Amino acid sequence: MMNTKKNPEIDMRTRIAWGVVLIVVGLLVLFLFAFSTEAGQVTKFGLNEAKGEAITIPDLLLPTQPTNYVLALILIAFGAFQLARGVKSTSTLVAVLAFSFVMAFLVWAARDKSFSLVGMLSSSVVRATPIALAALCGVISERAGVTNIGIEGTMLFAAQVSVIVGTTTHNLWIALLAAILTGAAVASLHAFLVIKFKVDQIISGTAVNILGAGVTSFVSSRFLEKNIDTLNNSGTLPAFAIPLLSKIPVLGPVLFDNTPIVYLTILLVAVLHVVLFYTPWGLRTRAVGEHPKAADTLGVNVYLMRYINVMIGGMFAGLGGAYFTVGSVGRFDEVMTAGKGFIGLAAMIFGKWTPIGAYTSSLIFGFADSLQVKLQILKVGIPPEFLLMAPYIVTMIVLTGVVGKAVAPAADGQPYEK
Amino acid sequence: MKKLYSVLAVLLVATMLLTACGTPATEAPAVTEAPATEAPATEAATEAPTAAPTEAPVVIKVGEVTDLGGIDDKSFNATAYAGVEKAVTDFGVEGKYLESQQQSDYAKNIQQFLDEKTNLIVTVGFLLGVDTATAAKANPDTKFAIVDYSYPDCFGDTAVEGQTCGSATELPNVLGLTFQTDQAGFLAGYAAAAMTKTGKVATFGGLEIPPVTIFMTGFKAGVEYYNAQKGTTVEVLPFTYTGNFESTDDGRAFAESFVQEGADIIMPVAGPVGLGSAAYCKETGSCMIVGVDNDWTVSAAEYKDVILTSVLKNTNVAVYTAIQQVVDGSFKGGLYIGTLENGGVGIAAVTGASDELKAELEKLTADIISGAVKVGE
Repeated sequence: MMNTKKNPEIDMRTRIAWGVVLIVVGLLVLFLFAFSTEAGQVTKFGLNEAKGEAITIPDLLLPTQPTNYVLALILIAFGAFQLARGVKSTSTLVAVLAFSFVMAFLVWAARDKSFSLVGMLSSSVVRATPIALAALCGVISERAGVTNIGIEGTMLFAAQVSVIVGTTTHNLWIALLAAILTGAAVASLHAFLVIKFKVDQIISGTAVNILGAGVTSFVSSRFLEKNIDTLNNSGTLPAFAIPLLSKIPVLGPVLFDNTPIVYLTILLVAVLHVVLFYTPWGLRTRAVGEHPKAADTLGVNVYLMRYINVMIGGMFAGLGGAYFTVGSVGRFDEVMTAGKGFIGLAAMIFGKWTPIGAYTSSLIFGFADSLQVKLQILKVGIPPEFLLMAPYIVTMIVLTGVVGKAVAPAADGQPYEK
Repeated sequence: MKKLYSVLAVLLVATMLLTACGTPATEAPAVTEAPATEAPATEAATEAPTAAPTEAPVVIKVGEVTDLGGIDDKSFNATAYAGVEKAVTDFGVEGKYLESQQQSDYAKNIQQFLDEKTNLIVTVGFLLGVDTATAAKANPDTKFAIVDYSYPDCFGDTAVEGQTCGSATELPNVLGLTFQTDQAGFLAGYAAAAMTKTGKVATFGGLEIPPVTIFMTGFKAGVEYYNAQKGTTVEVLPFTYTGNFESTDDGRAFAESFVQEGADIIMPVAGPVGLGSAAYCKETGSCMIVGVDNDWTVSAAEYKDVILTSVLKNTNVAVYTAIQQVVDGSFKGGLYIGTLENGGVGIAAVTGASDELKAELEKLTADIISGAVKVGE
């Protein structure tokens, strides 16, 4: 954390806090996941997806108890080291903590059983995609100073338009394009209201959400449900395995055997990161979001920047909407986005308004999503309702500022008046 | 600033209008006929009051309140409405429905039908249990039928009438429409066990509530019965729940997860969520789906290649029976139980079943009806 370096006392305190947390978690692992198991138990992780990879590698067999002893020791040793010396990078600490704990939990949960680790990871990446696209929409709008909570509604519109276009044209790429354009159109409505007429941004966003749910449900029940084959059966974009790379064990099926929308999302994260932080355009965007008056004085067209960025954000949301229909099930059903747009906003905050941070936190939400399915199959004994809550609890913990402070752009949500 | 408010006002009004169009009081197409039957009666009354009071039939009004799945859920809301529509054709009653977008709409929608002096209000789903009882107690002259529920439902010390449960006593104006779907689920489980190639089958639900789990336990019992009869070891993966009845993407993810764990036949009991599972099976060809509530080879014909069979909960038969009772005046509260015997539940044709399996299923059906085979343990 940057600001802690200035003050050695706070530095010291966070160091000790981290050390204690690591040791406590290590002890928890020891008591909950190691002592409760028996000596002979074995955990089996499936490392092949049943898709017929060229190279199959043997499943990972881990002796449950010794593995968790080792993981607990790693945590405790790391904690002790942190207390004595201190590790500079917070992200290393978070990574060690999260990896060891989750791994120990999985090894414990799957004792005497087997489950597909690769399957879980690959579905995490897929499930993170709509969340990530919603988060990117939020990032670029809010960086330019416009709060857009209408992402959910935008995605619903785009999802519906893409399935209709896909079914009527029989071309899923056109459907994808239509979704992106729809996203831009809906976002421009929001932009028009909040920039031109300075309508309260939360109200306008809420209106977009209500409008999205209402209009798409109306169209769905009036037209789509009665004409499934002519309007609501687009098929899905096929998964595209990248040659060679998809043959790599574990990583291949997780990262390189996905639908185009998943690849596109990863690409967009990288592009947006570069554009936002390394180009004049990105600098202007951020200036408009932090201090529009200063930007205006220097000759940046604040309104234009805001319009364009909100519309680009809408395009991301549009692509996210397409994920639900042409990217996943090939049909539209009422309110099928099921709150992913809102979780995307949480991912944006979790990711501190940066594209890479937003994507990483989307992956965490996606992981929680697919983990809970596996835990139910493994019969862990935690009520499913509780597992379904997990992503939201994580969001709330993040919002309280425990994991670093997330600061919004200074002029976020404020209309600019010359 | 004035401009600002006027734009905002226009937008909000537009939003309300459009959402209003999208959801409540969408009259059934059939209703267009109903006013036509009403119209002559009113004309006769105003224009020719001296004329003999013709039969002037009091049109019986039937209103259906859906749960969150909506009228087009291809599940019990839609099936229940099919029963209403059949009654509209057969008895000339007036049929309408109101969709609930959120839990707080249940009471509102019921109230709207009460305001319209509806004779029979059909509430669809377990989740409407409390609101239906509250309304039924306040309006003893209105008749109610509730799908998947029955009264009394207040048991134990923690139950609070009107809050955690509907009524501590039987309500004379409410007919509970319940189904022994475990009987049909049992048959589907037996069929799935016979058809699986991997030796693993799976089932998941939307929420862990009795009308959902009854399918699943029946299915599991059917698989176990097959194992006991044939000496096989077909496994049912542990029950899982999506936590919602909307997200088709969840249905896809759950199906994918089951296939990863080795299952090849999946029974989703979560309304439209299951269609996402069907889409996954169709795309990958790695699994078959057991539909629930109605015959998915008809209601979701685009996936018929991957539909193994469907567990039929003939809500339409039950609703139709309730309306019939109102029409002929024999309606009284209590309980209707749909079984294999009275056609309230059943199983659709099994895709690719051998003649042997068909015969076994027929025999099993007869055995369940006669009580020779017990479905519950």
